[in-house]
Amino acid sequence: MEKVGEKQRIQPAGGKQRRIRRTPLIPWWALIGGAAVVAAIGAYGETSANNYLLSLLGKFLCYAIFALSIDLIWGFTGILSLGQAVYFGIGAYFVALSLKINYALTHPTRYGGKIPDFMEWNGLKVLPRFMEPLMSLPFAIACALIVPTLLALLFGVITFKRHIYGVYCAVITLAESLILQDAIIEYQAYTGGFNGITDYGNITGPVFMWFILAVTVVFFVLARLLTHSRVGTVLKSIRDNDVRAEFMGYNVANYRIFVFCLSAFMAAAAGAMYAAWVGLISFLDAGPGFSIEAVIWTAVGGRGTIIGPFVGTFLVRGASFFLSGVLADWWQLIMGGLFIFVVLFMRDGIVGTIGNWWRRQRGATYGGLVEEADRQAHDLQAEWQRDSGGAPTREI
Amino acid sequence: MITFQDQIFMQFLTGFSVVAILMIAATGLAIIFGVCGVINMAHGEFIMIGAYCSYLLREYIVGPNFAYTLFLAIPLAFAIVGLIGLLVERTIIRWIYDRPLETLLATWGVGIILQVVAKLVFGSELKEAKVPHILDGGVRVIRFLQFPYYRMFLIVVAIVLLALTFYIIFKTDFGLKVRAVRRNRRIASCLGIDTAKIDMTIFVFGSGLAGVAGAVLAPIKTVSPSMGFNYAVDSYMVLVLGGVGNLWGVAAGGGIIGEAETVLSFLTNNVIGRLLVFLFIVIIIRVVPRGIFGYQERR
Repeated sequence: MEKVGEKQRIQPAGGKQRRIRRTPLIPWWALIGGAAVVAAIGAYGETSANNYLLSLLGKFLCYAIFALSIDLIWGFTGILSLGQAVYFGIGAYFVALSLKINYALTHPTRYGGKIPDFMEWNGLKVLPRFMEPLMSLPFAIACALIVPTLLALLFGVITFKRHIYGVYCAVITLAESLILQDAIIEYQAYTGGFNGITDYGNITGPVFMWFILAVTVVFFVLARLLTHSRVGTVLKSIRDNDVRAEFMGYNVANYRIFVFCLSAFMAAAAGAMYAAWVGLISFLDAGPGFSIEAVIWTAVGGRGTIIGPFVGTFLVRGASFFLSGVLADWWQLIMGGLFIFVVLFMRDGIVGTIGNWWRRQRGATYGGLVEEADRQAHDLQAEWQRDSGGAPTREI
Repeated sequence: MITFQDQIFMQFLTGFSVVAILMIAATGLAIIFGVCGVINMAHGEFIMIGAYCSYLLREYIVGPNFAYTLFLAIPLAFAIVGLIGLLVERTIIRWIYDRPLETLLATWGVGIILQVVAKLVFGSELKEAKVPHILDGGVRVIRFLQFPYYRMFLIVVAIVLLALTFYIIFKTDFGLKVRAVRRNRRIASCLGIDTAKIDMTIFVFGSGLAGVAGAVLAPIKTVSPSMGFNYAVDSYMVLVLGGVGNLWGVAAGGGIIGEAETVLSFLTNNVIGRLLVFLFIVIIIRVVPRGIFGYQERR
């Protein structure tokens, strides 16, 4: 592998030589822009001009990390998981439960109990034994990060090792998420059930805002490093043609498991921070609706790009925040329309579309050769796939 | 005195009606998924619309005393939902046939829209469509426990629909073309089969079956805009377990999931029942990744 940023010569068809440059890990303008955005958000947290807006900002950042985790598996590796919220939800519930238990110790309920109020409402007198370890917050945080990752590992070993992916994977993860949601509602004595967990002294303030920002930056850079490394190239080749990647000697299943675990870890971290920052979680944060919505944020922003999930999340969530109050049910209708619109007319999302246009402007597509090759590859695969019996066993 | 065994046996019988519903819903899904390769996430909402057809017909058109409501509701639901399916296929699906995972997202959007429209038009409260009185009552099986006629009727409908689908796919000229397209789309196209038309017809037929599932479902479940989602997910699990695009797989998958879920839910509770069934499915597809009947698939 050549050094990043090194100049090299290629021989395009037509014999005309042209100098091209490999994209650096993070271009200087992105570095400056990113630093400016981060500094602006952080400084805004310091001034705390508008607490509500600040809390919204932190919330969106958590959502964006969640969307980034979906982008890693879907945009870069081609695994569509509709149950990513399972990992987000588990992370969030661990932290929220721990905070709530500790909060209850210092803030007794109306009836004087030192256990979370929802437990008291459901007839529990003392904290259940199996929840006692959660009194230690560091343990809860460790659980919030490790349990989802292990769960993802288990899921990956079961399915990817047996070449179950694509549609099957989507359906199974969807069912998984539905079951978790039902379980949260059913065991309300331990989870808060339908009302969720609320009122547990969430962590606010600029310090935690800086922390969320730092985690966001770390994950962003990590994702960029990963996707621009050799591993990232393999992941993309798996997305584009897994059979060929397998024949070239790569252990496709292991790559898939690795990236699935990594994304579960990211989702869990996002969930943990979300619970601590927002101070309200419910079964909806672990349900299938949330996962699919996040898939749409990713698609709107641009899948297969790192900045895309951030753009998409802030745009869609922002619009949702400002418009859903005014439009009520109609906003749902618009969301439905957005799903269809994105799939039909904006495959590459906002960032992808702009990127394509920019590359065309710079003529960096080797005179359209890259696009042509892309299109041909896609057409061929589409034909091959439909020929192989209709049943979509592998995705494009 | 009703013994525990009697109760289990009754649950087992009740399970057959759940199997019937799953089979009706999953048959439509199986042919859409198997032939067109489209993952129709709006299937649950199609079921919901079928249920509303049945409910509205009974409440506002024929009146609650009319005995044969269902025999009108079934073709009506088939026609209305089939038309909606046609609309969806012509405007959205036909542009994205070559991107199966994205049909999932687009049809999810369709599902949201249908749900919101149903909420705006019919209101979000739960509606009840009663069992027509000629199907009231039941056969006494053991002592006081009786098996309702209506559940028997469901089983009959499921068998008839599955048989009809079998007949269409395996005995008619149209079915021959469908099988040809499914086996090898390009060769079928070369032989002069209009594959786009086959796709369209199958999508409409599958949607219609979802409507029928909703119509017969309405009397035993409450009708509401969000009733369909769980059925859609369950139907997909039937396909995953049974094998995609194989009608025997639908019967086998539906049978196993319906029975297991009913009996296990009775023994434990809904959530654990579902969880156990889910784990069971995961273990099965770990052993046979293409589903129980999927291995027969020639590649």
